[in-house]
Amino acid sequence: MSTTVDPLLADNTLNDPRRRSPLVLGGLDYAGVTKTVCAVASETTPPPLWFLAFALSVSWAGVFGLCIAYLIFTGVGVWGNNNPVYWAFDITNFVFWVGIGHAGTLISAILFLFRQKWRTSINRAAEAMTIFAVICAAIFPGIHVGRAWLAYWLAPYPNQMAMWPNFRSPLLWDVFAVSTYFTVSALFWFMGMIPDIATLRDQSKSKIRQFVYGVLSLGWTGSSRQWHRYEKAYMILAALSTPLVLSVHTIVSFDFAVSQVPGWHTTIFPPYFVAGAIFSGFAMVVTLLVPTRVICGLENLVTIRHLENMNKIILATGCMVGYAYGIEFFIAWYGGNPYETDTFLNRAFGPYWWAYWTMVSCNVISPQLFWFKKIRTTPWMMLIVCIFVNIGMWFERFVIIVTSLARDALPSAWHYFTPTNIDLLMLIGSFGVFFSLFLLFCRFLPVVAMAEVKSIMVEHHHEDHGHGHGGHAHGGHGGRH
Amino acid sequence: MSSLSASQPSPVAEQPSYWRSLNELESRPDFEAMLAREFPEAAAEFPEGVSRRRWLQLMGASLALGGLTGCWEREIISPFVQRPAGRIPGVPQKFATCWELGGVAKPLVVTCYDGRPIKAEGNPEHPASLGATDALSQALVLQMYDPDRAVGVQVRKGETTESSTWDAFAEAIRPVLNAQRTQKGKTLRVLAGTSSSVTLADLRARFEQVFPEAKWVEFDSVNRDEVRAGAAAAFGTPVRTQVDLTAANIILSLDADFTVRHPQAMRLTRQYAGRRSPEEGEMNRMYVVETAHTGTGAMADHRLAIRTADFANLLGLIESAVQNKLEGKKVPPEKDYASKFVDAVAEDLVANQGKSVVMIGPRQPAALHARVHRLNALLKNVGATVAYTEEPGAARPSSPAALKGLVDEMLTGQVEVLFVLGGNPVYSAPADVDLVDGLKKVATTVRLGDYADETSLACQWHLPAAHPFEAWGDALSFDGTVTLAQPLIEPLHGGKSVAEVAALIIEDEVRAGEQLVKRALARYLPPNVAADVAWQSAVHDGFIAQPVLAKVEPTLVAAEPVADPAPTSGLELVFVPGASTYDGRFANNGWLQELPDLVTKLTWDNAAFLSPKTAKSAGLEIGDVVKLKFDGREVTAPVFIVPGQAHDSVILWLGYGRTAGGHVAGYVTSQSKPIETVGFRAESVRTTAAFTSGLGVVLEKTKKTYKLATTQDHHAIDKMGLEILGRRLGMLVREGSLEKYKEHPDFAQHVVHHPELESLWEERSYAEGNRWGMTIDLSKCVGCNACMVACQSENNIPIVGKEQVIRGREMHWIRIDRYFSGEADDARVVTQPVMCHHCENAPCEEVCPVAATVHSHEGLNDMVYNRCIGTRYCANNCPYKVRRFNYFNNNKKYEQASNELATLVLNPEVTVRARGVMEKCTYCTQRISATKIVAKNERRAINDGEIVTACQQACPAGAIEFGDLNLKSSKVAKSAAGPRAYQMLAELNNKPRTSYLARIRNEHPSLAQSKPEGHGAHEHHG
Repeated sequence: MSTTVDPLLADNTLNDPRRRSPLVLGGLDYAGVTKTVCAVASETTPPPLWFLAFALSVSWAGVFGLCIAYLIFTGVGVWGNNNPVYWAFDITNFVFWVGIGHAGTLISAILFLFRQKWRTSINRAAEAMTIFAVICAAIFPGIHVGRAWLAYWLAPYPNQMAMWPNFRSPLLWDVFAVSTYFTVSALFWFMGMIPDIATLRDQSKSKIRQFVYGVLSLGWTGSSRQWHRYEKAYMILAALSTPLVLSVHTIVSFDFAVSQVPGWHTTIFPPYFVAGAIFSGFAMVVTLLVPTRVICGLENLVTIRHLENMNKIILATGCMVGYAYGIEFFIAWYGGNPYETDTFLNRAFGPYWWAYWTMVSCNVISPQLFWFKKIRTTPWMMLIVCIFVNIGMWFERFVIIVTSLARDALPSAWHYFTPTNIDLLMLIGSFGVFFSLFLLFCRFLPVVAMAEVKSIMVEHHHEDHGHGHGGHAHGGHGGRH
Repeated sequence: MSSLSASQPSPVAEQPSYWRSLNELESRPDFEAMLAREFPEAAAEFPEGVSRRRWLQLMGASLALGGLTGCWEREIISPFVQRPAGRIPGVPQKFATCWELGGVAKPLVVTCYDGRPIKAEGNPEHPASLGATDALSQALVLQMYDPDRAVGVQVRKGETTESSTWDAFAEAIRPVLNAQRTQKGKTLRVLAGTSSSVTLADLRARFEQVFPEAKWVEFDSVNRDEVRAGAAAAFGTPVRTQVDLTAANIILSLDADFTVRHPQAMRLTRQYAGRRSPEEGEMNRMYVVETAHTGTGAMADHRLAIRTADFANLLGLIESAVQNKLEGKKVPPEKDYASKFVDAVAEDLVANQGKSVVMIGPRQPAALHARVHRLNALLKNVGATVAYTEEPGAARPSSPAALKGLVDEMLTGQVEVLFVLGGNPVYSAPADVDLVDGLKKVATTVRLGDYADETSLACQWHLPAAHPFEAWGDALSFDGTVTLAQPLIEPLHGGKSVAEVAALIIEDEVRAGEQLVKRALARYLPPNVAADVAWQSAVHDGFIAQPVLAKVEPTLVAAEPVADPAPTSGLELVFVPGASTYDGRFANNGWLQELPDLVTKLTWDNAAFLSPKTAKSAGLEIGDVVKLKFDGREVTAPVFIVPGQAHDSVILWLGYGRTAGGHVAGYVTSQSKPIETVGFRAESVRTTAAFTSGLGVVLEKTKKTYKLATTQDHHAIDKMGLEILGRRLGMLVREGSLEKYKEHPDFAQHVVHHPELESLWEERSYAEGNRWGMTIDLSKCVGCNACMVACQSENNIPIVGKEQVIRGREMHWIRIDRYFSGEADDARVVTQPVMCHHCENAPCEEVCPVAATVHSHEGLNDMVYNRCIGTRYCANNCPYKVRRFNYFNNNKKYEQASNELATLVLNPEVTVRARGVMEKCTYCTQRISATKIVAKNERRAINDGEIVTACQQACPAGAIEFGDLNLKSSKVAKSAAGPRAYQMLAELNNKPRTSYLARIRNEHPSLAQSKPEGHGAHEHHG
């Protein structure tokens, strides 16, 4: 037994080439993991902070609902959209939320395929966030149309009009892309949760919980055969999700790239949008997990190393986004299309200069702070940077959509978009929906993928023995495995 | 066709039978009181605290229930046993008629569907129309269905207004008139607008017989008094100047604005535009000197902006330069633009003697008019481009003088009975004429008017006036052609025409409008045909061909020596008829209020218009509110800055700030929650001495600002935006000098070079069948806005109101883009009408997810309203931004079953669009279909020119051609294949069907240094 504290346990962001840094801290064993995670979703009354947050979120979600009702009863005119700027906050919010919805599936699918073990502590929350973000995103295209009650005409269904939708329209591709993504993500999320729901079922004391978790766990017993099937299916879904991560935002970017509006019509959009989506998605995961891990007591599972890894991805994608901003300008000049050149001049120096430079400072400059390890590993500092990234990524969509439309080919049609109160309320309201769902998720579902975390602990567990940390109490292999 | 006259039921003020069940209710006093409280038309009071939006909902109920007070005629609904000859249900009928503005007839042909007029067009046979109309004539039909129009006779007793009847009025007025008869009408006065009606002249003669000592006073806020006085000064007698521009090589317009505000504007514009395309012969050259911007000025080859007060000096310079050139003296001009301008004008005028014309506008003083007459004579233009006819009503005094005389009589108690027939003198009277106080001193005041407006509120009786489409009448067009008006619908609110009321006053044996007109016109009908036939054919044609104003050859009286006027300085005030409101009579017309002025693009307001330099020196910006102090009076006005306007000149539009206008114009009189007025009342600083303009106005800046609604440049464009605009302008609106055209006739097609446009797949060729297309000649378009209102009327385009215009949600399918070029203080104006280009490879179609906008086999870009869900993606992808989205239910008013009157204005051939759908120009697809059906039934091809779009039909300049591009002999195919034709933004490979013909400027060589492509623009070779 050593008297010195293992530096890797004190600071698991250190990289010792001789051995892996631990991903679970606090000397948690399998039972400890189960206990820690199940405590979050237990029957005991959650902390007052949860109630406060939930009340606030639900109120805003209510405001959102009222705004939607007002919108549908009155007309799209309650927004600030005008004659050249036919899309504004509505589609900005849509693209923003779809972008947020990229991190979860990327973490669970792509990082899974790349055997990134640190993903296990965060993938569940990230996936949940994805689902909720896509829900928020999906609301906007549905309600932004002039006749929302006919939005189902977007679907290719047999009808008495003998009409197909127009398969040439990127908006239709959007419908397919987003709905496929949502379906696969939800399926992936739910399937991954089955063993953990079974754990909750077994830990529950109330009949209702036992019943609901029992139904949701689909009769999971943890037999080897089930684990065998489960892991096969998980792998297949991961493989299915991986291209979707790339395709959704590619297709969302087609809404713009396929049109002929100067500033939209650029071939760089698909990779640029995907990088931006991952960037914003990770920023949102960090934004959510920094407080969540404290409030839910998950510091030992969602460690600084996890957060730091995500911050590194944010730094990398932030640089990609910055590069895209630069190359857009270069091509606008090099391409020789006068209308495109003017659009980009307008973006940076025209009436929306403030939005453009907000975007650049938030998205390009602020993630550069992550070159400093201190900022990368201090929760409150990274939270601030990530909130800036979220703001910046919202502005990126605003800049692309609004500035391009506000000043296109004919100067006679130029106009300036000013949001109405309803625009602002609905933007905040969509966050209300998002946080309400996330808070409910924290309260009732396993926030961390217990089974997966345990799967990466085995090795660690033995290493611990090897290094003589016998002082930690191990409750045996009590976790369901 | 006078078929309507026979079947008209006599106006009986009876309860309509379908309200039978409410009979009990309606007689109860509390219900009457409720009606009076709730419904404006029933009581001449507006409900308190209604917004304009609320009004739209309210007016439905008010009209339906208006019947309860006995103002709606008995309605007999029964099927025809036999179909009347020539009447096919659903097939529109057209009737020739006219209306009168400022004493001049505006000939029209009005389309009626099932007995209701819905669309006014010009009368193609009439020499003063040639088929074209102006914006005001187009908007007349909306005015008729305006629910704010006063219903029935009303009598004011103290502060309250009660409904009455014509019979009650006749009963009440008879003893008054009998008393007047005995004293020969000594204290009887009639105040009316100027009219050239033969019928009214006939009745006035009878009036003078009955009441030899009575006076009939004529007052018009917008008038041509100075023109008449100028002719009188030049010739000793007021003659009317008839200009023929077909032979004019050189046109010098001194503030004349002959393309819009001239009484002969339609004909003059057609003549002018006929000489603007270089391929059709020698182009004319136009010089315009003006204070405010006008469409004429925008079309000028050379324009000079000077204060109204400086015209005398300028004319002096032109006169002496002409004199010098005639005498062969060579005086080199100064270096400044104005001197070179004068020199060039003089050179051209002298070189084109007998082939030039000098015109001067009605705001200029009589002395200048006289000098222009002399100048035309000196240049041998009289008899060539200028002719003279008699002037009707030659002896009458000027409007402000006449009104002042009347009011002086009223104030001294010399008037006991006053009839105010038409007009709205209480609103439009000069500020120093106290008509309201005068009216208080008159024992009996009777007012005939469309609306229970400011004047009605100051009179005891209000009689409803018949709309021009509701009554018989006549007027002389500017050239003296007797033009007839026939009723197209039963008077909606029991109105009578001025002539009918005049007949009532003199207790004429003839009272019916038709008989009055027939009696008066009998002597003008051709004598060699039977009277009935002659009458029928006159009514059918809408006019009697032989002009009744005789040609005269007046001789110039010896000119009094003209002292060189001392140059003045200081800020001047100029009163201009409101772009939308004229003299205020159209203030309650939503189509016109939302119609953007050609140059300022301002809607729903007037403003104090200043040049950038003047504004800068006064430290003012757009939207600042200033106090205008003039001659001891003041008015508060927002500032609007117009590049290219004369410096040191404040332009004010008349006709705004109506205190009792209606729900559109504003209604603030005795209301606890007033309806905000549109604009401010410029008339409150307009005096008899400064009726057209005046020197010495002071601008005092206040701390307030005011939001103005424009349809272009909603926000001031920053410097970089202006640079971008400058780079682009030459590519969008292509212009060139005549020299350039002669060198390279197809220069416009080489402004933008792009790689060969290829498609990934084989495009549809449209080689078979009809291939509809349009050309717009920028060399001809004078920007008169008639097309915009014509389109609005034809296609049921809603009005959205000021707040929505500020948001940029106006719905016009055709707009006239206006760009300034040159320096801000010496700006040139270029205009370009833009509507859907019907691209063959339409960007909008590809992106619509539900296929709501698709191509027809004839290449029309069709909009399927039923299928549209309103993603607005099409509009984003439209490079011309011509698509319009219904952000709200703009037609809510029509949804109420009771809202019968408002729906009558709608064209049944065109869908009324719902909330949340996209709409845009259809090339008047309903007119295409109608013609196709006729042609198909007759088993023939559609002839060229058979389909006329609404904008094309209204256009006085003939700038728009429409037809089949596959028909090589068609006008449109020829002009689209011409050298000047270019397609805007065609480099996008969208293959627009609309082509523009480049504007050619015929510049004087000495002034041609100005860059024709506009500020900073250059040929772009990409």
